Amino acid sequence: MRQLRSWAASVCTGFVRACAVLVVSMLVPAVWAGAVALGIWWGAGNPWSWTAPCVLVCVGTPALSRPVCRMFRHLVARWTTTVVPAGYQEAGPVTRMSTGYWWNGFGYERTSRDALLDQKWRIRLRDPATWRDLRFTAIAPFTAGAVAVLPPAGAATAVLGLVRPEPAARAIGLLGLAVALATAPYAWRCAEPVAVRFLRASPAMALAHRVDELTAQRADTTVAQAAEIRRIERDLHDGAQARLVGLGLSLATAEKLMETDPDRARALLREARAGAATSLTELRELVSGISPPVLNERGLLAAVRAFALDSPLDVTVEAELRLRLDPPIESALYFGIAELVTNAVKHARATRARIVVSRDATGLVVDVEDDGRGGAAVRPGGGLAGLRRRLAVFDGTLEITSPEGGPTRARMRVPCGS
Amino acid sequence: MRIVIAEDLYLLRDGMVRLIEAYGHEVVATAATGPETLEALLTWRPDVAVVDVRMPPAQSDEGLRAALAARAQVPGLPVLVLSQHVEQLYARELLADGSGGVGYLLKESVFDADQFIDALERVARGGTAMDPAVIAKLLAGGPSRRRLEGLTAREHSVLALMAEGLSNHAIGRRLFLSDSAISKYTTSLFGKLGITDDDHHNRRVRAVLTYLNRP
Repeated sequence: MRQLRSWAASVCTGFVRACAVLVVSMLVPAVWAGAVALGIWWGAGNPWSWTAPCVLVCVGTPALSRPVCRMFRHLVARWTTTVVPAGYQEAGPVTRMSTGYWWNGFGYERTSRDALLDQKWRIRLRDPATWRDLRFTAIAPFTAGAVAVLPPAGAATAVLGLVRPEPAARAIGLLGLAVALATAPYAWRCAEPVAVRFLRASPAMALAHRVDELTAQRADTTVAQAAEIRRIERDLHDGAQARLVGLGLSLATAEKLMETDPDRARALLREARAGAATSLTELRELVSGISPPVLNERGLLAAVRAFALDSPLDVTVEAELRLRLDPPIESALYFGIAELVTNAVKHARATRARIVVSRDATGLVVDVEDDGRGGAAVRPGGGLAGLRRRLAVFDGTLEITSPEGGPTRARMRVPCGS
Repeated sequence: MRIVIAEDLYLLRDGMVRLIEAYGHEVVATAATGPETLEALLTWRPDVAVVDVRMPPAQSDEGLRAALAARAQVPGLPVLVLSQHVEQLYARELLADGSGGVGYLLKESVFDADQFIDALERVARGGTAMDPAVIAKLLAGGPSRRRLEGLTAREHSVLALMAEGLSNHAIGRRLFLSDSAISKYTTSLFGKLGITDDDHHNRRVRAVLTYLNRP
């Protein structure tokens, strides 16, 4: 009984899905058929009988190709969870120049609306994805469409045949019903392989996309690095350098006062010593902010253990492997861990954290777990987004699961060769 | 005292030699790299050695390793480690063998020459000298804080100074308390921490070690 019910359900949903695939894949052929019908209706001799259908086909096909592909992708993603990436070219930002004109990457326009419109059409015309979409709208009716037509066609035959009194028509109607019932659960499934094969970005497009991504990443890294260097320069200039100048002044004054006023000279010397100690402390903090000494001296695992000792949380570190990675990766992972644990203290009010460093087939995996109240999310411009960007430079990833009420689990993954 | 100095920066090494000689101690050897340090420590067997953590050839923790290696061969060889940074991890490694005669100070502690020489002499006698920054980090840390919750504020500061390696008399002077008051505090805090009574000096080292050595 239950089997029967599930079979009936799959027939019903399959039928609806097959109809949907059929409608989507037949939209463009329907336009063509409409154009032919229009030509016949006007009849030979009338100049409209060939211009109007031509215009309809030339405008309708490209206009429909992108929506059809989008619908196809959407249906496949919804039914099978297979996501076929679109791979369309992204538009760059539209910026206003000092002249008041808008630059869209191709040319100047008077208003931002014109600039955006111009950019949109230029990108669409240059995008290889446009040609891929056109090709797909030509292929879809003969592949997914041809298979998906079976259940609705069978159902139509059944309805038309069974209302007739003749036995032959009834037999054909029954045959149609059988075909419809037998194919309904399976006919729509053809849409997935077709979409994956013909709608996927070609290797050249994927490569172009990757190049764009890397260019953006490089620009990001350069900007971040420049900002970091400026910060270090400012810290040195305002802190240690100024203090050393003060130190020199105090010493010079003390030297002068040594004979005449030894008490004041002694006080100045004491002050100079305190100043030197303070500037050392400042320099020390600056250095650990750039590159923690234990990380340089002993590598990532020792540095994480040392960090755990200094943390106000109860941090356990589990790592059974011996590893030495490239220093930039070690540094990114170390500061990543430090950021995650600091977040746990500051935002999640955690009392315990667990850091697990392990290796699997894809590379190095670092898990950071805390018992805080959760709710951590990657927000644009936030610390976690910055961390994700820093890891992306090494093709690394950051996944976070942090339901409200906790616990928060973060996983950093970096590919590594050895 | 016969002292060995291991430090790769010439200016600092030279300055320390002059400082130590100004206090009437003898510098018997100096070393500028990790291997040289180990060799100097093993040949001269000084009363105390001053060792920098980061040294050539690898510019990593060569000095610390040399000091640990020398102490493994000559147990209890007094070593005072000077570093640009304080790391609990390194402090623990130094104290791990439990035999005392070690110190771990920030480089700027040489600015206060009296206290620096005092620490040096303390280490030479088999005591300890820990930088206040190490102790502060240690007492502020997560798990140990819970264990120290039973202590009063006064006992806490006595423990911190004791962990630096100071004697009861020196602690009394820092906190402006009498010697008898200090010994009252130390007795009660030993009791609270569960450190049983045996040799008096050893108990103090152990109070520090209990905290530094915790895994």
